[in-house]
Amino acid sequence: MTGAPGTCSACAAPVGASDRFCEGCGGPLFEVPRPIFDRVAIPRPVALEGPCADCGNEVFSDGYCTGCGHRRAAPDRDEAKLGAMALVTDRGLLHSRNEDAAAAGTVTGVPGRLEAFAVVVCDGVSTSGEPQVASAAASKAGVEGMLVELADAGATHAAVVAGLAAATRAAADAATGLDPQNAPSCTYTGAAVVSKGQGAVEITVGNVGDSRAYWLPEPPGLARQLTLDDSVSQELMTAGAAPDSELVQRGAHTITRWLGADSEAQPWADSSVQTLTVTGPGTLLLCSDGLWNYLPEAADIARFCSGVDPAAAARALTDFAIQAGGNDNITVAVIPIGANT
Amino acid sequence: MSSTAQEGIPGFSVDVDHNPYLPEGSGTVDAIVSITVGSDTAVDAAPTERVEAIIVDCSTSMLKPAGKFDGAKRATAAAIDELSDGTYFIVVAGTASAAPVYPLDGVPTRASAATKAEAARVVDGLWPNGGTAMGTWLAYVRDIVGQYPGALTHAILLTDGKDEHETPEQLQQEIALSVGRFTCDCRGVGTAWRVDELRSISSALMGTVDIVADADDLAEDFAAMMRTSMGKSIPDLTLRVWTPAGATVEFVKQVAPTVEDLTHRRVEVSGQIGEYSLGSWGAEDRDYHVQVAVEPAAAGKEKLAARMTVVAGDQVLGQGLVNALWTAEVALSARINRRVAHYTGQAELADAVQQGLAARRDGDVATATAKLQRAMELAVESGNDDKVAELGKVIDVDERTGTARLKREVAAADEMALDARSTKTARVRKENPA
Repeated sequence: MTGAPGTCSACAAPVGASDRFCEGCGGPLFEVPRPIFDRVAIPRPVALEGPCADCGNEVFSDGYCTGCGHRRAAPDRDEAKLGAMALVTDRGLLHSRNEDAAAAGTVTGVPGRLEAFAVVVCDGVSTSGEPQVASAAASKAGVEGMLVELADAGATHAAVVAGLAAATRAAADAATGLDPQNAPSCTYTGAAVVSKGQGAVEITVGNVGDSRAYWLPEPPGLARQLTLDDSVSQELMTAGAAPDSELVQRGAHTITRWLGADSEAQPWADSSVQTLTVTGPGTLLLCSDGLWNYLPEAADIARFCSGVDPAAAARALTDFAIQAGGNDNITVAVIPIGANT
Repeated sequence: MSSTAQEGIPGFSVDVDHNPYLPEGSGTVDAIVSITVGSDTAVDAAPTERVEAIIVDCSTSMLKPAGKFDGAKRATAAAIDELSDGTYFIVVAGTASAAPVYPLDGVPTRASAATKAEAARVVDGLWPNGGTAMGTWLAYVRDIVGQYPGALTHAILLTDGKDEHETPEQLQQEIALSVGRFTCDCRGVGTAWRVDELRSISSALMGTVDIVADADDLAEDFAAMMRTSMGKSIPDLTLRVWTPAGATVEFVKQVAPTVEDLTHRRVEVSGQIGEYSLGSWGAEDRDYHVQVAVEPAAAGKEKLAARMTVVAGDQVLGQGLVNALWTAEVALSARINRRVAHYTGQAELADAVQQGLAARRDGDVATATAKLQRAMELAVESGNDDKVAELGKVIDVDERTGTARLKREVAAADEMALDARSTKTARVRKENPA
């Protein structure tokens, strides 16, 4: 913010050496603290350089190795860490590509506020065209929308709604140039977390579709699912159907809300956004159905996280889903809260 | 993967139609590759010259029955009439040797109203006298077209009898020496010639073969053949097939408009690249069935099983990619591509007809009946109506019981027509892009 000595850096008006504000434009003449943003997103784009992972050959043509013919593919798994948060996404065993995405970001350096962070997990709807485009765009835009709001006002509920809105636009824009009859679409589960001091942490989650957020407090706290799936089976259960009934089982993977060019203008309901304040340590966990299909109970997921390094917990959960069949892409975000960080 | 964008070559396309999904452990990839050359397709190496040779069988047998030789002369004149101005042409009399008819000095002349009229007049004065040695005819044309490198070179060969005044080995040797030098359409008039003999010429020299039972029909057929030849604009297209390390090209077959196995014509460029000559092209489209065996990969993996590049001279006109995706989802891998299935059936149909007729000639009624019945089934299934009609002249199949019986009386011309046309396939619509 410092311009030439004796002038305002914003309007170049002459200023005195002891002035705190410019006489010309009214702007500050001292260093203003600016929020610091850090971000990660996975899976990272396929590397376009380097030798073939299968045979070591250096030459590719049309994306295929000229030696063994293998397509230059994304690695089966991608991981990222940001602060204490750990993200893992994996192709699984059956799907030919990973259509999930995860992103996270932190805001620090805002005077008078503790660290705030934002996390999103998206799962591409595999019956839509190029769903990985939607999930990548929505997860990044959701985090960005939340970070801006967190830096601005620090309110988690507003941040989650801002993230949902930004992600909705990004998923719709992802359809540009693609078949409009089969627009890419994805689920979205986002969380904004702000430390309130004295061990209190405010968490807001918002979701569209059937990716989930769980709160897994350290024992003896009770682990629980924070989000409600937007799925046919959840609607049936809300209407009173038994969880193990055939109808519910059949509707488990039919989602009723999604992000994409063909979704509603506001695809989330007000009840899709939930805020809680926690005071004890625990883990906030976001995941795609590639994980919870095999571990639907919050308590079972909690056992993988309690007292375990977040990255190790995220990997162990992903490995569990793969060993259980790996039927779908798997994405896990582990966010330690409170004393165990 | 259905096709790749072709840039810069109007009217030209390479399309790949296949089911890319394979079950784990399997490595056999089948694809139908369709190549289209449009009337507006122009290639860098466009030929400057055309050379046409018309070989008229002048063996003594052409005298009988009356009218056969007159038909042949009228047909030759009709073909000459179709020549584009400026085309180099020559008419050759085929006997136990080959001799120029027009121009008499054996040097092709350019077609013009004057030369065409003169050639027709000279042909009209021909008189058959001699034997039949088709290998010498091919050798004669080969020497002539060799004087015009890079030109579009084509011959029409007409005969009424068997190759007699040379050994079969001599004929096969002359055919082999002529491969790639000129295209040769073969026609047999009457029923005293041998289908397999003419087919060995037309197949190797990338032409057509057919019977013209009645000499009166020759003129129309000759004119059509010459018109088609005048429509050719590219002397030779080459299919360059790249396969990944460890893969094998099991076969490359032209499957439309006729079945022609090109597998053994592979010219090795490198360990992973082989080239197959596709002959001369006009505005037309042809389909090829390619089968590649690749090393299987794990579910979720994708690899390129073959890259099909079409080349004219040094110019790459376009390419199609045949990918393979391994999956554990049986619903995906079990799906058989409709066109792969159709052309597999058409190739089997051609084999069944030829094997059935061979067995019939050998007196093996059981094999002949089984093969021709199978051919009839395949023809009916695939909607190949021409083949159903032709087969109906040699075999009766009871529609209700399915019982098949060889016809006792079969006209020689009908049997030969079935044989000569056995490789003609019915087309199937391209798959609608998913």
